[in-house]
Amino acid sequence: MSSVSVKVGSVPLKSPLILASGTCNFGRELAGYYDLSILGGMSSKGLTVNPRAGNSGVRVAEADSGMLNSVGLQNPGVDYFIEHDLDFMKSTGAAVIVNVAGHCFDDYLEMCRKLDKYSSLIDVLEINLSCPNVKAGCMTIGSDPEAVKHLVSKLRKATGLPLWVKLTPNVTDIRATALAAQEGGADAVVLINTLLGMKIDIRTRRPVLNNNTGGYSGPAVKPVAVRMVSECYQVLDIPIVGCGGISCADDVIEFMIAGSSAVEIGTANLIHPTCPVGITEDLVRYSEENNISLSELTGSLKLW
Amino acid sequence: MEYKKEYKCSVLSREMLLGDTAYIELNCPDIARTARPGQFVNVSCSRFLKRPFGIASVDRDSGSFFIGVKSIGSGTGEIITLDRGDEVDVLGPLGNGFDLDSFGSYILVSGGTGVFPVNFAAQYLESSGKNFTVVQGFGDASQVVLNRPSYVLTTDSGDCGIKGTAIAGLDTLDKCVCGSSSCIICVGPVPMMKAVSGWALNHSMKCYVSMEQRMACGVGICLCCIVKVKADNKDGFVNVRCCKDGPVFDSSEVIW
Repeated sequence: MSSVSVKVGSVPLKSPLILASGTCNFGRELAGYYDLSILGGMSSKGLTVNPRAGNSGVRVAEADSGMLNSVGLQNPGVDYFIEHDLDFMKSTGAAVIVNVAGHCFDDYLEMCRKLDKYSSLIDVLEINLSCPNVKAGCMTIGSDPEAVKHLVSKLRKATGLPLWVKLTPNVTDIRATALAAQEGGADAVVLINTLLGMKIDIRTRRPVLNNNTGGYSGPAVKPVAVRMVSECYQVLDIPIVGCGGISCADDVIEFMIAGSSAVEIGTANLIHPTCPVGITEDLVRYSEENNISLSELTGSLKLW
Repeated sequence: MEYKKEYKCSVLSREMLLGDTAYIELNCPDIARTARPGQFVNVSCSRFLKRPFGIASVDRDSGSFFIGVKSIGSGTGEIITLDRGDEVDVLGPLGNGFDLDSFGSYILVSGGTGVFPVNFAAQYLESSGKNFTVVQGFGDASQVVLNRPSYVLTTDSGDCGIKGTAIAGLDTLDKCVCGSSSCIICVGPVPMMKAVSGWALNHSMKCYVSMEQRMACGVGICLCCIVKVKADNKDGFVNVRCCKDGPVFDSSEVIW
């Protein structure tokens, strides 16, 4: 039976396509380009307890088949989001995924407790343990399996909302942090956030980014992400949301075969804001032509 | 509702204005019809990100618009070699344009590639019958583009026009065009826009500038192209998006 609807644990999505955090803001800008209700979900810009101005100076550097960014979690703060953006996200018809970032455990706890009160408007809390562009929290916590397990178990007690933990690829073995998230009580893991990189202007001998380093994203990182999804699928019991360089339906299918139950599209939105429309059409056609429900693809990889 | 689109546009013409600067006409009736002066388009090349260019002119009859492109790297270097018939992906019109209706008269100041969006503003003011004066500032005679005899021309080197910066050009203007009912629009290198902003303040005139930043999406979703503007908060500023909240800003609000 053909269908593009999927489930990530208990969360039903009408399509496996989710707009990745930081590449759709809160949806308003893209709502002028297409009907956002075609999406499985939309993950908000990474939010913090207090508003953040983000990093100064140059925040983007082009790289081969991708780009580096060092936005630094610029966001209006969780209270402003709840007051001004949450209702809009809900009104789009896409599942509302709220990306939660913090400097320390208490930040994450405070945010989850606060957002839990709006559980009728929120489908998922995506715990950002992977932003590489801030000095504390996020990737610093997300690289340490013990810290991941400890934090997720605290958050698990603070909210009944599904918890997806977005992990960093900047670790030796991502299976360790993924398993730690699972042990802490995560409902799913999101793999992967950006790879830490640097671009140098050879004339000035200075990094292009004023933050010196940034997160590398785009098609260049896709093989790394697919490998990590496959590795984690083999050891995890909870579902995986794949992310990293997806820009066409074939990429979505590849990520699902590797073990993803759904996927996030990030950098491709920045290049072609309407790309989810064509990808969705292509996925529907694939599903119909092969008389397959997309969810059957998940983990169907046949390793040598 | 009608959704915004991404267009495939073919190149109708390309003229090299300088050794490194091309004036390119692209076919797109929608953009020609809806674009306002000060807005920009994102144009694809073989590199990863699209490149942003201020719209230099529109021809509604033929359904085309023009951009001025200076080669400053591999992407723009490729775009200035586009030939008639070549196709590019174009996103636009993007950003907010200039307010060219609220004031009695305008002074348009430009330099570098800023002459292109300002050219569109001049085209608009001309067709709406408004009084306006154009001041152009360049490094030397070899950089002069889109100049007309009626424009006040300045060069740093003094090898043509008035010797000095655009400020020297502004200082020559008749006092009657520099009143508070007149507005300055300035697009050029940051030192020019900063100096013109100061000059406007001294003359109690409103001044709008068009800022340039390294951009990724152009539509306001990535937050990569920030401009610091004054704000009543603990930091005294807020980072806003050049592409979506700008690129046109009230110069008195920009933290230079």
